[in-house]
Amino acid sequence: MSAPDADLARTFEGRPGRVGLSLQGVLRGLMMALVCLICVVPFGLILAVSLGHKVEGAAWVWGFEFSNYTRFFVGALWPEQWSDLYLQKLEYSLYYAVIAAVLAVLTAFPFTWFLTRLPRAAQARWLIFLLSTLSLSEVFVVMGWDILLSNKSGLPMVLRELGITDWAKGNGIFDWARANGLANPRDFKFKTSVFATVLTMAYLVWPYAVILLYPPLSRLDHSMVEAARTMGARPMQVMRTVILPTVRLPLIGATLLLFVLLLGVYVAVSVFADPAQQTIAISIYDEVRGATLNAPFGAAQSVILLLTAGAFLLLGQLILNRRAP
Amino acid sequence: MRLHWAARLFMALAAIGVAMPIVVVMASALNGGRTMTFPPQDPTLDRFVEFFVSQPVWRAALWNSVVVALSSAALAVLLAWPIAYWVWRENDRASKTLAAMAALPFALPPIVFGVGLGFMWQVTGGLGTYWALILSHTALFLALPLVTISIGLQSVDRAHLDAAATMGATPAVTLRTIILPQVMPYTASGFFFAMVLSFNEFIVTFFVTSSSFSTVTLQIFNSLRNGFTPTMAVAAVTFIFVSAIGFSIVARFSDLPRLMGADQTK
Repeated sequence: MSAPDADLARTFEGRPGRVGLSLQGVLRGLMMALVCLICVVPFGLILAVSLGHKVEGAAWVWGFEFSNYTRFFVGALWPEQWSDLYLQKLEYSLYYAVIAAVLAVLTAFPFTWFLTRLPRAAQARWLIFLLSTLSLSEVFVVMGWDILLSNKSGLPMVLRELGITDWAKGNGIFDWARANGLANPRDFKFKTSVFATVLTMAYLVWPYAVILLYPPLSRLDHSMVEAARTMGARPMQVMRTVILPTVRLPLIGATLLLFVLLLGVYVAVSVFADPAQQTIAISIYDEVRGATLNAPFGAAQSVILLLTAGAFLLLGQLILNRRAP
Repeated sequence: MRLHWAARLFMALAAIGVAMPIVVVMASALNGGRTMTFPPQDPTLDRFVEFFVSQPVWRAALWNSVVVALSSAALAVLLAWPIAYWVWRENDRASKTLAAMAALPFALPPIVFGVGLGFMWQVTGGLGTYWALILSHTALFLALPLVTISIGLQSVDRAHLDAAATMGATPAVTLRTIILPQVMPYTASGFFFAMVLSFNEFIVTFFVTSSSFSTVTLQIFNSLRNGFTPTMAVAAVTFIFVSAIGFSIVARFSDLPRLMGADQTK
């Protein structure tokens, strides 16, 4: 800001009358309008489109009907026939997300605890590493795991070369894997499987888990831990009686947030999940830009996913805020 | 304080787990043939030449990604600053509502936001334009500079502000001479966060560009249908480097542990 600007500003500040107030008011109003337009209006439009219906071809028209929602819950042919196809997709969304979120938090918790014990410079190096992987596009993560789990050069190959595959065939583990879709007649296979899907999803949010748990663990009062240790408590006892009770709420909050984040995962599910076990995110994609092309129905599914996410997010906020004064 | 050996082992294992898919992708970029195998067969740097020089599709995509990432991050910072400042100065209901609205897109599933943006640009006629994508990413990542700048504003030394007020500085002068310099590192961090995430974004980009132009992530997703190729792995390597450099700059500019919410006494 140059000197005349500052003078101008001083003039306004010096006279808290109409001019200064209205300029500020106009700026704030504009900012409100802009943020509302780009951040809130898109969500409103989804709701509006979901009440319309598809017409010939791929087009759609505005409307005011709830047929897309009834189709979601009971199927298009109801009441003659009842279908829970889309409820099943929603169920898979929740199923993958909950397992992956819990898995990520359970493994990230001890890691973050150790991380906060390190010297500050070392912490910064770890954080750079984690943030770099966190920002990595879903597309690349899926690409990496695709190679790691591929039959030719991934985990199945390693298991085969190490003789574990033959060993597993001898003691019934292989039969168990086949029954659970983790093997073909000759080898272990992980594409497509729930295992691969959940593993990749947990990997996707793992750095987020560390970052969410980092503040509460880092701010934990160490004198309490030391006091407990001095009084003769064993490390596991300290963990159970001192650390876990203080970070219980952040743990639950982090799990919920990651769960919400995972509800919308697209690439990992489309590559690793069995076609019969795909989620609502895949279905939305197909309706809006993919094979089925029914934008209003896709919008209705988005609204339902949004409401699901919002409900869990609210729950998480309530849990996290309960602790704050 | 030294960690127990088991703790260090656990951290090392976690690091290997996190690095494994990245290492595999990076190594695959060296493949001489057309297929992705690990370990790479007859290693070569030809794929790097293809990506950066000889294949215009990838070069154009890379250029689009860079332009969108830089402009959307800059816009996000420019928009986040007044919001954060307003919340910090007055903390009234209007400013809090504004901040909550600005954080909304980042908190909800991106596929839903992408679908909504797709409808919005379709209705306004902006679907498939550069500006639509830049504004979309601005909205999606606005929350990041908003958070870092807010943390920065909270860390401004109150004593400095009181001293300035006592000496008769107007709010505008205080803003320029005290607040801006102290919050600059946090502003830069917010910029890099938004930039790196925009660079890596896929699903919103997909719905907003409507196939009229492509970014690197989109290009990769399109080639995905023909199976992964080593040239795509080069793109991944580029991304990882851009991210690592971005966050190293953040760490250099500001106290990264504090930015991530570590306690301040240490």
